[in-house]
Amino acid sequence: MRIAFVVQRYGLEINGGAELHCRWIAEHMKKYYEVEVLTTKAYDYITWENYYLDDREEINGVPVRRFPVVRPRNPVRFGRIQDYVFHHEHRIEDELKWLEEEGPLVPDLIHYIDQHRADYDFFIFFSYRYYHSYWGIHTVPEKSLLVPTAEHDPVVYLQIFKELFRLPQAFIYNSVEEREMIQRVADNAHILGDVVGVGVEIPTVISTEPFRQERELEDDYLLYIGRIDENKGCDKLFQYFLKFKERTRHSIKLVLVGSTKLTIPHHPDIRYLGFVSEEEKFAALKGALLLVMPSFYESLSMVTLEAWALEKPVLANARCEVLRGQCRRSQGGLYYEDYEEFEEALKLLLEDEKLRAALGRNGRRYFVNNYTWEVIENKYINIINKLTEERS
Amino acid sequence: MSEEKKQNQREEDLAIKIDYENLDVEDIMNQIKKRIAARPPQEEEPPAEKTAPELLEMGRPPSPSPPPGLKSKVRRFLLKIMRPFAPLIKLLILPVDEELRETVENLDYTNRRLDSLTERFHQELSRIDQVLGRLEAKIDFNHQIVNERLDAAFKDLGRAKEYTKLLHQLTHNLVVEITKLKIEEDHLKIQSRILEKDLAFLNRREKEVEKKVFP
Repeated sequence: MRIAFVVQRYGLEINGGAELHCRWIAEHMKKYYEVEVLTTKAYDYITWENYYLDDREEINGVPVRRFPVVRPRNPVRFGRIQDYVFHHEHRIEDELKWLEEEGPLVPDLIHYIDQHRADYDFFIFFSYRYYHSYWGIHTVPEKSLLVPTAEHDPVVYLQIFKELFRLPQAFIYNSVEEREMIQRVADNAHILGDVVGVGVEIPTVISTEPFRQERELEDDYLLYIGRIDENKGCDKLFQYFLKFKERTRHSIKLVLVGSTKLTIPHHPDIRYLGFVSEEEKFAALKGALLLVMPSFYESLSMVTLEAWALEKPVLANARCEVLRGQCRRSQGGLYYEDYEEFEEALKLLLEDEKLRAALGRNGRRYFVNNYTWEVIENKYINIINKLTEERS
Repeated sequence: MSEEKKQNQREEDLAIKIDYENLDVEDIMNQIKKRIAARPPQEEEPPAEKTAPELLEMGRPPSPSPPPGLKSKVRRFLLKIMRPFAPLIKLLILPVDEELRETVENLDYTNRRLDSLTERFHQELSRIDQVLGRLEAKIDFNHQIVNERLDAAFKDLGRAKEYTKLLHQLTHNLVVEITKLKIEEDHLKIQSRILEKDLAFLNRREKEVEKKVFP
């Protein structure tokens, strides 16, 4: 059986989001099927400018076919159209124009899918909101599976996606909340689907001491891993953390890991480590008292799963339905809606070691039951088997 | 019960109870919410007063403590006079007073909390109003568009009806004309047949006459 994974970007340099999710799934599914990745030559997710030169290459044993982006995104024009589409009365044509502006504009990829539809048994599209998924699924609806990676933002309510969500043969959701949201928007509960997500690989040996010494981290710390961005709620996190420090005089530190698009406040108790290796990331996680996830929009937070895999409790933003739902289902973390709840929950977590341990244990159990690679692979295989049976 | 004991009791009531074996995150969060609701709304706190060593460190002498005033002297004097009656006062008045004070305090906390919640509620209401307003405007706009389109469609339909009527009339007239022409044609055919017969008769007559004239 031959399966194509269709995604907006693909490469070892891309270490987060739906792209990494797709890479991990493709690399694991190559054990069972003949897989190929169809993607663009883009690396930058803001402009989609062509970056990769080769049309074909192999990454970790997975063949990759790349198609050029014919026009990079103009952020100003895109912003203008997005503002119009989100806040004004508009037509379907405007939404399609928005989609084209959003990109990545890769008509060759769509032509390729059209001309080679017979060469593949299934096309698994990642990220519903981009050009490749919308037109790709319209081209081969009879062979399409969609991993929407949808967040609760205004995009999901656009008319064009309501129709799109009724086309694929199956959905692979990241969370229960994502499934509920998409079914509410598109009324498509009759389409086959399962909550799958992605597995997480944890190194067998993680040593925290050398990392702590090298980074001069002596005190207890909260950890944030991810893009340091307003969209991820980091500005609020800084505000809450500084207020917490001011009010409680607690000695806890905040350690930040990841690329930043935001000015980090200069404060002796906020440490920015920048971009770190996977090894260091896990060392940082293992050494932390807990992980803090202030993001408002998540379809599945991989780093939260990683924290639970290491038995670390999580303090999450309750305004993100997915994070709150994950905390409740796993019993592995507390959540906050405003500063008062942040303070109380954090104080409780810092003071009660037994609670932290219990939350960590629950998180670990939840991870083992739902997010080990064996579970994830089986869920994908089940869906593909069901579709194959239906087809025959 | 002393103030301190009551405070302790209160804190005990609001302490978060956790069953570590069967953790319920939602229950913990509800207890946290309850705890927050029970305390007065947060106000901007003035910066914490620096301690003497801290001030000295900053190069400033600590401010001297205020001298005991007349008020405190009078208070002390009154307390001295009232001391023999203290047990009676405590028995009769203080518990009531304490309770009253506590109730007033609680009421004050509750009122402030209620005020802040009401304010938030009104903010939310006005936000919902705005959203509803936008939605209404959208519905009106769509309604208008639909009406305009319906009007245009009805106009087109009326025109099409008129056109069909005219076509029908035209077809009818054409049929009448064709029928007339057919009759005319038949009539002409009959005339031509009569003329042919007359011609044949005249030919025969001509031949007979010729025979008679030139035998």
